[in-house]
Amino acid sequence: MLFRLISRPYFRRHVLRTMLTIAGIVLGVAVFVGMHTANQSVLMAFSQTVDRIAGKTQLQVTAGETGFGEEVLEKVQSASTVRVAVPVIEAVVDTNIRGQGNLLILGIDMTGDRSLRDYDLESGDDAVIDDPLVFLAQPDSVIVSNEFAGRNGLTTNSRLPLGTIEGEKLFTVRGIMKSSGLTSAFGGNLAVMDVYAAQKMFGRGRTFDRVDLAVADGRTIAECEAELGAMLGAGFTIEPPSGRGQQFEAMLAAYSMMVGISSLFALFIGMFIIYNSFAIAVTERRAEIGILRALGATRGQIRWLFLGESAITGVIGSLGGVVFGILIARGIAASIGSLITDVYGVAQQAGELATSPALLMVALGIGVATSMVAAVIPAYQAARVDPVHALQKGKYQVLSAGESRARAVAAAVLGAVSVACLAAPSIGGSAGGGSRPLFYTGYVLAVVVALLLSPLLALTLARTLRPILRWIRPVEGALAADSMIQAPRRTSASVAALMLSLALVVAFAGMARASYDSIIDWMDTAFNPDLFVLPSQSVVIRTIRFPKEMGAELASIPGVERIQMVRSARIVFRETPVMAVAIEIESLAETSARPPVAGDPAAMYRLTASGQGLMVSDNLAQLQQLSVGDMLEVPAPAGVIRLPIVGVVLDYSDQQGTILMDRTLFEKYWNDDSVNVFRVYLDDPASVPAVRQRILERYEGVRQVFVLTNGELKEYVLKITDQWFGLTSVQIAVAVLVAILGIVNTLTVSITDRRRELGVLQAVGGLRAQIRRTIWIEALSIGVLGLLLGFALGAINLYYILQIVHHDIAGMRLDYAFPTGVVVALVPTILASAFIAALWPAEAAVRGSLVEALEYE
Amino acid sequence: MSKRRRLSAAAFLWLPVGVVVSSHVAGGVTAQAADDARTIVEEAQRRTDAKSQRYEGLLQVFDARGRISDKRWTFERLGSHGQSRAVLRFVAPPEVKGVALLVVNHPDRASDQWMWTPAIERDRRIALQDRSTRFFGTDFSFEDLEERDVNQFDYVLAGEEPIDGFVCWKIQSTPRRTKSSQYTRSIVWIRKDTYALARIENYQKDKLVRRLDYSDIQNVQGIWTARRMEMADLTRGSRTRLTLDRLQYNLPLKEEDFTLQAIRRQ
Repeated sequence: MLFRLISRPYFRRHVLRTMLTIAGIVLGVAVFVGMHTANQSVLMAFSQTVDRIAGKTQLQVTAGETGFGEEVLEKVQSASTVRVAVPVIEAVVDTNIRGQGNLLILGIDMTGDRSLRDYDLESGDDAVIDDPLVFLAQPDSVIVSNEFAGRNGLTTNSRLPLGTIEGEKLFTVRGIMKSSGLTSAFGGNLAVMDVYAAQKMFGRGRTFDRVDLAVADGRTIAECEAELGAMLGAGFTIEPPSGRGQQFEAMLAAYSMMVGISSLFALFIGMFIIYNSFAIAVTERRAEIGILRALGATRGQIRWLFLGESAITGVIGSLGGVVFGILIARGIAASIGSLITDVYGVAQQAGELATSPALLMVALGIGVATSMVAAVIPAYQAARVDPVHALQKGKYQVLSAGESRARAVAAAVLGAVSVACLAAPSIGGSAGGGSRPLFYTGYVLAVVVALLLSPLLALTLARTLRPILRWIRPVEGALAADSMIQAPRRTSASVAALMLSLALVVAFAGMARASYDSIIDWMDTAFNPDLFVLPSQSVVIRTIRFPKEMGAELASIPGVERIQMVRSARIVFRETPVMAVAIEIESLAETSARPPVAGDPAAMYRLTASGQGLMVSDNLAQLQQLSVGDMLEVPAPAGVIRLPIVGVVLDYSDQQGTILMDRTLFEKYWNDDSVNVFRVYLDDPASVPAVRQRILERYEGVRQVFVLTNGELKEYVLKITDQWFGLTSVQIAVAVLVAILGIVNTLTVSITDRRRELGVLQAVGGLRAQIRRTIWIEALSIGVLGLLLGFALGAINLYYILQIVHHDIAGMRLDYAFPTGVVVALVPTILASAFIAALWPAEAAVRGSLVEALEYE
Repeated sequence: MSKRRRLSAAAFLWLPVGVVVSSHVAGGVTAQAADDARTIVEEAQRRTDAKSQRYEGLLQVFDARGRISDKRWTFERLGSHGQSRAVLRFVAPPEVKGVALLVVNHPDRASDQWMWTPAIERDRRIALQDRSTRFFGTDFSFEDLEERDVNQFDYVLAGEEPIDGFVCWKIQSTPRRTKSSQYTRSIVWIRKDTYALARIENYQKDKLVRRLDYSDIQNVQGIWTARRMEMADLTRGSRTRLTLDRLQYNLPLKEEDFTLQAIRRQ
């Protein structure tokens, strides 16, 4: 009843403001839904690809990304619990067809593979499938999916160019698979070829990526896992296909955490918009509330009236956010797909959106809850309105001395607790950053302190600004400053929203800058060869590799002084995918030695080079709680490597961490001497173009070779870094947008709130231009206050974010550096935004009816 | 081990002859009958014993839609039965030319088989688990190519029946528990006049899945040999005919030509 009589007319009168309020929740929920849906879509697409390719596979035998020798297949096939076991190689290659991107090549042994997968043909000679001889005898044979063939107009016997280790090769489409689960894997960009031909085409030597198997009749999967586990040893992972999805998810853990933090921050900012709106609504409707209370409405009814309004706003905003989130999810998913390909070297596109009903319900719940939580304080305050004071307009916006004191005391106490939480780790002396719950408690408290202090600080700053504003524009400046001083609650809500947004921007920008600085510093030493020879255009795609013999060939090219062979592969260490980097450590020590984070520099390189120790990256040490002297156990196909950590070094090769070892150790334990990258040092650095040309000419038509200069590789790495931070830029933009919405909302309400005052001003001769300028100055002042507080909180927030990155996300030790450049750029951006946000409210103020304005209230 | 025990079911053509006999004849099977069946099988195999064998084969696959595809190979075998080694090399059509298969038979276990693919210069082992799959698009399976030891099966004489006008012993063979086979049992017809195989029917459970007919049986260097064999896949409705040309026995072949290194060289 109250809602129909009171709330609905109010919303009708303030359609624009209501919409702006709802927009806050829409944006918050949309970012939450969009980010999570996109993230889930990519994960789902990967899992679906794994499932569809797995077919009837019950277990898969893998050894990380490195693969293993062919003899493992025979061992697996000999197990009593195995009915059928088949080898598999997966390679992602460039189709060289415009707009088609990458093609997932599935290398299989057609002789036995049909026990696990269906390869029914749509067209082409059945013999291609039925007669492996034809398929095997011609290594250029591929079978493509119906979907891929349809998109590219391919028919049987069409020629398809694909990038291989031997350069671009023309393959022959021997058959086109009927649409099925398998063919829809990897968005349909799937082709099948002989596993042994794939070994040759993609430089795999005599290794397989994995073995897919089905369990013998009458035996259980658990029995099979146990038998194979005992037979193969710790270097192998034996798990159902779904396990690969979990590994992929683990690899993206850092990214997922960033998504989570950002979307929660967006919701938090949205909450402030709601708080702002309801706080203002309570102020505006004090008279109404007073009358209701005088007529007998209870405090509970008033409280529930506002909470009900916020719930409805939350439902509408959340529904809009869900719809908008789903709309933007596809774009975000494409961006994530591209990011994953470029950063992690795992090509994956989300063909369809994983719109999980559970996620949508959670988003709805969070949206409504956020809206209601944001309205709790205004609703509580509305319920406490004294009918006698209800008509004393504006008084409510004043911050009483008692409340200010209470806020200051609470802030001081919580601030002290927050600092104590930070100090706790050093007291405990834990190398891992101490108690994480305490740290996060401290972080939350720091934000709460900032929010508690924001009205006081806004008031103080507004008072400080008053003389300046008055000096600039005696009338308009003073009026604008007084408006803020008299209504600190209204102003502070908007300032707080802006402060939070800017704190987020400063933190992300600072983190990005620190990352860039650290990565550039690392690259200057680690990437100091003159040239890099790669088998793929992408530095991170490791599915195509060079043979070791190529090292001697490159070394013999005139102008080449030294060659270093790098083999890097993701392996599973403590159930986490980390990067193993194998290189000639002795040579590396001579060319690229840099002071370790921990360990003796000379001993570190000497012991690692002689195979008596391992080096780990600082981020791995951080994430896995490792330090020099610890005995590392690294599972490998030929057994478990048990060696001490002899040094901790800075290395940003992988977000989950890196284990550095000598190549001889890798070759021994992985039985793999292939090479991902050749690092080439020249006699004369000035001869880079000439030697590069010689390398390209040496391998023209023989091998696919990409030669990057030092500068080009660094540029490539920085481009990837840009991509990583690209998504956060979008989130920052949304945060700023939400903050601007807050300013518009505040100003709109401020104008409405002061209609009578503004009307009187006009009636006594105030010019429209003066009124406009007053509002503009007020907007700009809110912007200035927001900037000042935002930068202050941002400086603190940056510290926390760097700690989180160090301890919980990537283990990266980033130096604190305030992002001055971004901060300088933000000043005009925010001020311009505030000014633009003020244009409409200012026009509304001067164009309204003077009579109506004077009659207001 | 006596010669009798070492005789395998290998037959004159290395192709599935060896399968032999067992006991699915319902009831009334006597020990004498079983013993007679084994004796018959052993005699049939003894008569096909040769130091070596060579022929040129024409393999014609007739699929269910009536399409015919041809392949040609050369076949050489050194030794007999479970002690033999064989190399099969495709010579036509051009797209499969040079592909070779090396089979090393063992008296007490399944054979080892490797395939050589010249285009990628790779050999690959044909896994035991894959022996039930079709042999390169034909209606033979890899298992059908194995030479089996006589002791891996139990035999039962199931009576007599004429095939193509010749009276034959009808013998059922059942793989022993130690023998891994896709077939539950097989029924073999052996001509009484020459001890040559006339027909084999292979069953999976109670379903007849493959039938192999031998025809154009000639005496080649004292060994009665079928110059034409036709395997019908009764599930797929297709059949494969193998015709033997230039068949010779007991040629001087070198042992070193029957190794993995040798098939890589050629």
